[in-house]
Amino acid sequence: MSTSQTPAVVMDNGTGYSKLGFAGNDAPSFVFPTAIATKTAAGGGGSGSGRPAVAQKPSFLTGGAGPGGHLSAKRGTEDLDFFIGDEALNAAKGPGYGIDYPIRHGQIENWDHMERFWQSSIFKYLRVEPEDHYFLLTEPPLNPPESRESTAEIMFESFNCAGLYIAVQAVLALAASWTSSKVQDRSLTGTVIDSGDGVTHVIPVAEGYVIGSSIRSIPIAGRDITYFVQSLLRDRGEPDSSLKTAESIKEEFCYVCPDIVKEFSKYDREPDKFQKYVVDQGAGRKVTVDVGYERFLAPEIFFNPEIYSSDFLTPLPEVVDGVIQSSPIDVRKGLYKNIVLSGGSTLYKDFGRRLQRDIRHLVDARIKLSEQRAGTNVRSSGLEVSVITHKRQRYGPWFGGSLLGQTPEFRSYCHTKQEYDEVGPSIVRRFALLGGPGGAA
Amino acid sequence: MPAYHSSFLSDTDVRIIGNFALLPLRTRTRGPAYTLPLLPPDADEINIDTESESYDHLDETLTLFRANTLFRNFEIKGPADRVLIYGILFISECLGKIKPNMTGREAEKALNTLALEHFALPGDPTFPLNALFAPARDRNEADTLRQYISQMRQELTIRLLSRVYFESATVPSKWWLSFTKRKFMGKNL
Amino acid sequence: MLLLEYHSLLIHQILTERFNGPTPATIDQVIPDFDGVIYHISTPESKTKILVSLSIKCYRDLLKYGAQDVLQREYGGLIVDPEPGYDFSLLVDLEALPEEKEQRDDLIRRVSLLKRNAMAAPFERAFDTHYHLAAESSKFTSESAPSSSDTEVMAIQYRDEEAIYIKPSHDRVTVIFSTVFREETDRVFGKVFLQEFVDARRRAIQNAPQVLYRNDPPLEIRGLPGVNDTGAGDVGYVTFVLFPRHLKPERRDEVISHIQTFRDYFHYHIKAAKAYMHSRMRKRVSDFLKYLNRAKPENAETVKERKTASGRSFKVQS
Repeated sequence: MSTSQTPAVVMDNGTGYSKLGFAGNDAPSFVFPTAIATKTAAGGGGSGSGRPAVAQKPSFLTGGAGPGGHLSAKRGTEDLDFFIGDEALNAAKGPGYGIDYPIRHGQIENWDHMERFWQSSIFKYLRVEPEDHYFLLTEPPLNPPESRESTAEIMFESFNCAGLYIAVQAVLALAASWTSSKVQDRSLTGTVIDSGDGVTHVIPVAEGYVIGSSIRSIPIAGRDITYFVQSLLRDRGEPDSSLKTAESIKEEFCYVCPDIVKEFSKYDREPDKFQKYVVDQGAGRKVTVDVGYERFLAPEIFFNPEIYSSDFLTPLPEVVDGVIQSSPIDVRKGLYKNIVLSGGSTLYKDFGRRLQRDIRHLVDARIKLSEQRAGTNVRSSGLEVSVITHKRQRYGPWFGGSLLGQTPEFRSYCHTKQEYDEVGPSIVRRFALLGGPGGAA
Repeated sequence: MPAYHSSFLSDTDVRIIGNFALLPLRTRTRGPAYTLPLLPPDADEINIDTESESYDHLDETLTLFRANTLFRNFEIKGPADRVLIYGILFISECLGKIKPNMTGREAEKALNTLALEHFALPGDPTFPLNALFAPARDRNEADTLRQYISQMRQELTIRLLSRVYFESATVPSKWWLSFTKRKFMGKNL
Repeated sequence: MLLLEYHSLLIHQILTERFNGPTPATIDQVIPDFDGVIYHISTPESKTKILVSLSIKCYRDLLKYGAQDVLQREYGGLIVDPEPGYDFSLLVDLEALPEEKEQRDDLIRRVSLLKRNAMAAPFERAFDTHYHLAAESSKFTSESAPSSSDTEVMAIQYRDEEAIYIKPSHDRVTVIFSTVFREETDRVFGKVFLQEFVDARRRAIQNAPQVLYRNDPPLEIRGLPGVNDTGAGDVGYVTFVLFPRHLKPERRDEVISHIQTFRDYFHYHIKAAKAYMHSRMRKRVSDFLKYLNRAKPENAETVKERKTASGRSFKVQS
């Protein structure tokens, strides 16, 4: 039908937030929590078990449209009574609805809810007829193929979407970095540091394929920074130390410093480094919170986890170095050269610069050591370490998807509905590498 | 990047008792320490130049305090690091004594009492860091060490107060007091 | 969510944000809507001038049926020359917004209804024709009323393979949708769904419009260009007969909005129904698995373990 010009739909469903939009745009059209609120069993005490109360046969007409009669018993529309995103959070505050997060740790856990989440995303928010559009979805690294197949089943069988491509988030994040002026060759080799709200992943990618055995995750991410800011506010006895305040301070004031001792001294010399944040507590009450050392101490927990956590102590630069060292030797050079940041918790000013410096220190120290051990006069030519910071970092995977989804050859990489009907769900186990060698993306 | 170490680790020609270094001090208090020249009256004590001949390890302790006190682990690299540990823990103790409603005068009184009261030496059963500090060899050495540490404590309280009451003589800086709850290496004196 | 909204949520959202936002920002977004409609919202000149362009497949058809007048009425001074590649453009100047909040909200609402208003033109014309004919025919006795077949049938080819036909007459307005299903399952669902539409009137909702569903072109549109009866039955025709009670001027706007979204509503519910079926299927599978697991013999799990000479154990595969 009329699929000739329609832009591809790009959906990046993450554990915390879903990013939805259209290929070619430079920002997702909708960003809201991956949450769904469904009617719970009478009384609202249920836990959102995943299924609507389905005792009766469904009918296709709207319930309540007509007066009672013998039909009313058959008319159940509970399956349409749900909310997603911010509306879900609101609905769950009231009685009768239970909230559920269908994605856990990056992977889809509740398919019933996910299917309805998509249904509402497509028809209510994006307002597109899926038959007219190609879809680009994302998946976490090491997503089981069964999960891919289930996704394809829903996309093709429920929604009849015209074509589907499923890309790994880390690979898309690499593609998103192509917008940076620092990137000359558009390679799909690099190390992706993806830090969202709950967890931070360090993912090595070689020529578009994730090196699964070397992935490391760090239990420190955005939420922890917020908690740390909050604890600093409490230590100081600020008038408002709610999580919300801590989060706003984190987003508005925090940055990464090169050296915390020097930064403390700088605050002694320059009192205007201290800032003020006005909290509106509602009902006309406003309080002023002083903002001080947390500005640079909060993101410091990536580089010195010790100051925040007692059980995870490895600094991020060391983790990155370890990940690259555990990858095959022939790709390490490329991995050091292209360290790409992605996700909201990497947006602090100078985050990339500090990371690059620290990793370079580690690498240089190792090279020096091995030169000494070798004892000969052979000198290493050094190793280039480069951390890429770019404008589209916040929604990196989504933007990478938007970039690749608008290329003319995108459609030829997709599996179409027709192909799916011929082969079956197993067709999505393999996708040709989008934007990889040979692709002119 | 772990916690910061003392820059006086390289000073090897200082007297060492147990494994505690008696580093030179810039102070008016009398004691066994080698005294460094006082600062000229117009000098800015808080932003003292590290290259200055008057720069001593207490300046350094006060600078490193806010960063190091956030850490739980610290690898001791030499006698000067032990002086640093003692200094940082003593500052923590001092901050614990300053209440948010104390004026500079009141705080000075409280800290003076603290600096002069009887304190445990390495080797005493009540000293909390005996695992890291070696005891003095004899009475004589122990006396010298006590005098030196006492000198250090007195000088440190003076300088700490000038920082905590830097902005106002009547209200302590909340930026400094916020570190009261942190415990360097999980210990306190 | 039973019904779909008539306006573009995204345009609504962007404009609301821009109207109330403290600082102007550049916007450049392509926003598709149902039926191949594409909006382009951008700030080409300066950050305070927002250009909203619309590209719609059947714009020629719509123009033919008076879209220009309807759009002129709705948007008036906002209309500018269409952006290249698009059919219709509006320019909203953030510096010349109405003061009142209500007027602003109204402006946002009107702009986000751009597609609805463009598509409304033929319906409005049909309604007008109907009023006219009704007035005319009231002069005649019922026998001598002019035959309804000589009024023009308006065809709007709103999708490549599907069209809306509107035929006004003195006592009714007939709206016919041609529908094509590419998917066998959908066709079955569609049939059941449409049957419900047909039955609804008979059973419960007496004052609903009459709905007819058939696989060959209805009489009204037979012989029109583009309507060919292949006989294969892959094109279905849904006919809505709107009676004067639906055509009352005060209900007119709502009726137009409603009937426009019929196809999207129809397809949305087919998909929702499938999603619902899937969730029931999953439930069944997990229930059946429970039974199967119950039927497992008790000690099936004990796998023989053997030891090598060195004391290591290994499992024997059965």
